[in-house]
Amino acid sequence: MTSSWFQDPTLLAAMLGALLPFVSFAVIMVFTRPYPKLSATISVAAVSVSLICALSLLSRHWHLEQPIQYTAKWLVSGKLYLPFGFMLDQLSLLMLTIVAVISFLVQVYSLGYMAGDPGFARYYAFQSLFAWAMMTMTIAPNMLQFYVFWELVGLASYLLIGFYFEKFSASEAGKKAFVMTRFGDIAFFLGLLLVLLHFGNLNIVDLNSVDVTARMSPALITLSAILIFGGVAGKSAQFPLLTWLPDAMEGPTPVSALLHSATMVAAGVYMFARIFPFFSKSATAMTLFLAIGTITMLLASTMALVTRDIKQVWAYSTISQLGFMVMGLAAGSYFAGIFHLTTHAGFKALLFLCSGVFIHEYETNDFFEIGKYGGRGLKVPIVCMTLAAAALSGLPPLSGFFSKEAIMGGLAGLHNPIWLWAGLLGAFLTAYYSFRLIFAILFPKKIEEVHHEEHGGHGHGHGEDHHHAGIYWVMAWPLIILATVTLVLGFFHTPLENFLVGHHGGAEGHGGGHHAWLLYVAVGLALSGVGLAWLEFGRKGASQVGFVERIEPVKTLFAERWYIDHFYRLFLDYVIYGIFSNLFTRNDRRVIDGGIDGICRATVGGGRVLSFLQSGMLQYNLMVMFAVLALVALYFFF
Amino acid sequence: MMNVWTLFIPELYCLLMAVVFFGLAMSARPNPRRDYFAALFMAGVGVVVALACVRLEGTLFFEAYRVDLFSQVFKVMLAMGFFLVVCLCTELNGIEERHHPEFYLFLTTCTLAMMMLVSSVELLTIYVALELSSYSLYILVPLRRGHGVDVEAGIKYLMVGACASAVMLFGLSYVFGVTHTTYLVEIIHVLPGVIGTPAAIVGLLLVLCGFFFKLAVFPFHFWAPDVYQGAANQVTAYIATASKVAAVAIIMRVVALSGGSSKYLVDMLVTLSIASMTLGNLVAIVQKDMKRLLAYSSISHAGYVLIGILSMSATGYASAIFYALAYLVMNLCCFLVVVKVSHDGSDLKIAQLAGLHRRAPLLAMALMLAVFGLAGIPPTIGFTGKFLVFAAAMEKGYVALVIIAMINATISLYYYILVVKAAYLMEPDEELPRLPVSIPTKVLTVALVTAMVVFGVAPSYLLEVARAAARMLM
Repeated sequence: MTSSWFQDPTLLAAMLGALLPFVSFAVIMVFTRPYPKLSATISVAAVSVSLICALSLLSRHWHLEQPIQYTAKWLVSGKLYLPFGFMLDQLSLLMLTIVAVISFLVQVYSLGYMAGDPGFARYYAFQSLFAWAMMTMTIAPNMLQFYVFWELVGLASYLLIGFYFEKFSASEAGKKAFVMTRFGDIAFFLGLLLVLLHFGNLNIVDLNSVDVTARMSPALITLSAILIFGGVAGKSAQFPLLTWLPDAMEGPTPVSALLHSATMVAAGVYMFARIFPFFSKSATAMTLFLAIGTITMLLASTMALVTRDIKQVWAYSTISQLGFMVMGLAAGSYFAGIFHLTTHAGFKALLFLCSGVFIHEYETNDFFEIGKYGGRGLKVPIVCMTLAAAALSGLPPLSGFFSKEAIMGGLAGLHNPIWLWAGLLGAFLTAYYSFRLIFAILFPKKIEEVHHEEHGGHGHGHGEDHHHAGIYWVMAWPLIILATVTLVLGFFHTPLENFLVGHHGGAEGHGGGHHAWLLYVAVGLALSGVGLAWLEFGRKGASQVGFVERIEPVKTLFAERWYIDHFYRLFLDYVIYGIFSNLFTRNDRRVIDGGIDGICRATVGGGRVLSFLQSGMLQYNLMVMFAVLALVALYFFF
Repeated sequence: MMNVWTLFIPELYCLLMAVVFFGLAMSARPNPRRDYFAALFMAGVGVVVALACVRLEGTLFFEAYRVDLFSQVFKVMLAMGFFLVVCLCTELNGIEERHHPEFYLFLTTCTLAMMMLVSSVELLTIYVALELSSYSLYILVPLRRGHGVDVEAGIKYLMVGACASAVMLFGLSYVFGVTHTTYLVEIIHVLPGVIGTPAAIVGLLLVLCGFFFKLAVFPFHFWAPDVYQGAANQVTAYIATASKVAAVAIIMRVVALSGGSSKYLVDMLVTLSIASMTLGNLVAIVQKDMKRLLAYSSISHAGYVLIGILSMSATGYASAIFYALAYLVMNLCCFLVVVKVSHDGSDLKIAQLAGLHRRAPLLAMALMLAVFGLAGIPPTIGFTGKFLVFAAAMEKGYVALVIIAMINATISLYYYILVVKAAYLMEPDEELPRLPVSIPTKVLTVALVTAMVVFGVAPSYLLEVARAAARMLM
């Protein structure tokens, strides 16, 4: 197989697509870091090739029957065989395309957004690293490789979130993101080990086959599924590990678009989908996931109701939409979850990129301020953002509508109606907070007479207007492309469904059909959410104070993120620092450090003594030589 | 008859090189550029020749000389080591210009001798080959231009070497006395039967001494620090790489003679291995001179490689071969940096590495990777080598030995990291200019670094070769 890699276009494309970003990362870090333009070109070129490869793979294997696997031996240790390679099936092909598209658009957009930044080359190096890790993770054929690249994705995101590392909050946010996701990853890894010990291998195809039930007891499957889900919870910011994501908005806005909407956090959901059959073997675990998804979705939506920071709104909405996807998957609607992942990737990236334009322009994150400065004057972003917000709210005929309906359909199929009602409540809240933001920008109370044209001079470091316009359009094009995607993707519902789950539908029976009432209810709720937002923020003379904000305690509760962070803080302070750290520090200082210091001193001292012996005279050296020989010879005689 | 000489081609080629340099040495006016390019070209061709001959098999000279995959793989390594050392000779400032042809001449004869050494399967042939290589080095070491340190080093080397040779000859006579033959093929049948007798085992031990001297295993390591420091940087690079590889090969051949059935021999090797590792690592900690540090590090690495050999299994030998190759690459990379940083040919203090990451980022990175490789940190080839060696020992159940070796690896990390710290974190007292790094040097560095990382991550191909070569011993 290795000998013919250049003859097999599929493998060639997969290798090229997956490896080029890494090459670009290495080249930038080692050689071209002092040349920002060149570095950016290399990175964008690499990701373009990846995009072409991904698209050609997708079109080539549109009618794929069997997953294509290419693996090479990586490590063999005893009975454990660890391959390394690529697996292309419907899911990974789709995800690969999504990742490539979003990475490409974000990198192009960043040409404008990051222009003139002192860390421009570094930024593109990290972008490439991220693209490589994410793509290779997507097409990993076994869970170990998946885990390795999963962690690399975490690393790349840490680097990107903490990109402005000179800012304290940014480096803190990077750390928080890394540590919190790592927390989930520990569980993930333990789960993998459990599976490895009892099942014997980690190939995704084998994990998804029926063998698992034969080789592992149901309780064991439940336990390992829940542990592995820990990884999902960390990466996709599910309850209770959800508070890192809003903080992670400290990175540059395109980074937020890339990581926290479409790719990195979606990795968690992707993992859920990747070994969906494995998860679905445990009903208990699935119910737990459903509950977690629901709690996450509702908690995050409530948080989004009160914040005034444009990126925070989308961050909370990301969490809540991820929760929604987890709900969909956990409800058993494999396709619905992935479909929502796909559409969400498009419109959420669009939302972030649009916000990026506003933030770039007005240098503020507060959307009331943006509105005040005349944010609606920026035609392309505001139109695109409204479109994306509508998609997020699930208004027809945008992509979000179709995918939300699919998940709602899945929820409606469950016995317990509470999940469906929770989902509908979530839809209502989503529509409300999205349009709260939109209306605040569209219809501000009063517009201050500062237009962005005049504004251009002082606020942000790039001078002349025509240059500025060029940057604006570099940033606008990706928006338009994404907006188009958002508009039309919904209509690809059926082809995508055929592609992903085949024509035999089977478990996917409950699409829209016999839940027609659901469609009206969902759209109705979304519209009423929009309506409420209009009443409070849009119409003339609106107070621009939301219904939640009127009730002070509730507002504080939401704004403080349900005190989850406080709880962690207290827990850390009293339990971890107060008890464990304290004890361990003492142990560390007295016992371990003391011991190590002692050993070190002894070692260095030993070195001194020996080197003193060493630097002796030649006669003495020879004597030692023969003495040792004589001793060894004596040993043989006795 | 033609066939017979084909088997001898790599050695013949070396001989030809030696003749050419002999001719060059005759010329009246020194011309270092000419010598360098002649050496570079011929050494490069030498690698190709060795590679081309890798599949040859047969015996020569009344069965005293065996050409098989094992010997040919080592010949390739030797030719490569030779070539790479020649690559480092762009600025051969440590040696007077009129001596350059001699320098290359003795380098060549030494390589020739080592090639013969890895192929010899008869005791006297082995001895002659070993002495030829030693004598070449005895001359190379004091060839350095300078102030008497070289002479001291040369004398020390000669004395220790002479003693080792004497001991070895003594051992050879024992082995001959016990087995009544000098052919390894016959010894291998007789010796395992009488290995329990003191004469046989002591004989074998004494024979090994000669090779332990080459490998700088305790207690024959005394020459190493002085010679490493005293010899010209390029000569040290050669001693530290190519000559170690040859020593590993011949030790494997001799140890394989015992048939793996002697508990005493294993015990002895374990003792020497532990002593080498511990002594090398402990003393390295307090070194200030880079070459001395590398000398002690080589003593400790001799200990690690012995672990693979004393396992006396196919995996053990294969791991030792792999380790030897890894060591060759990593050490050459270190010496590349040493040679380039002290381009006037003087000794390099570790403190002089300060600020290297700004003076020559590529060299600093190569040094870091090489040093991490020596310490055994993944994903370098050094980690894979250590892993294989330890795995082979674990297979045989030498748990305590492996644990001691691991503790040693941890100790070694300390002084290796001191080197990295000097290169990356320390700032020089006064601002030094950027180091000029020529394009060929860059290519060489990148090639070495790539080899270290690529074969560290994907060692399977090399490992297959090592396994195939090791099968020839069993």
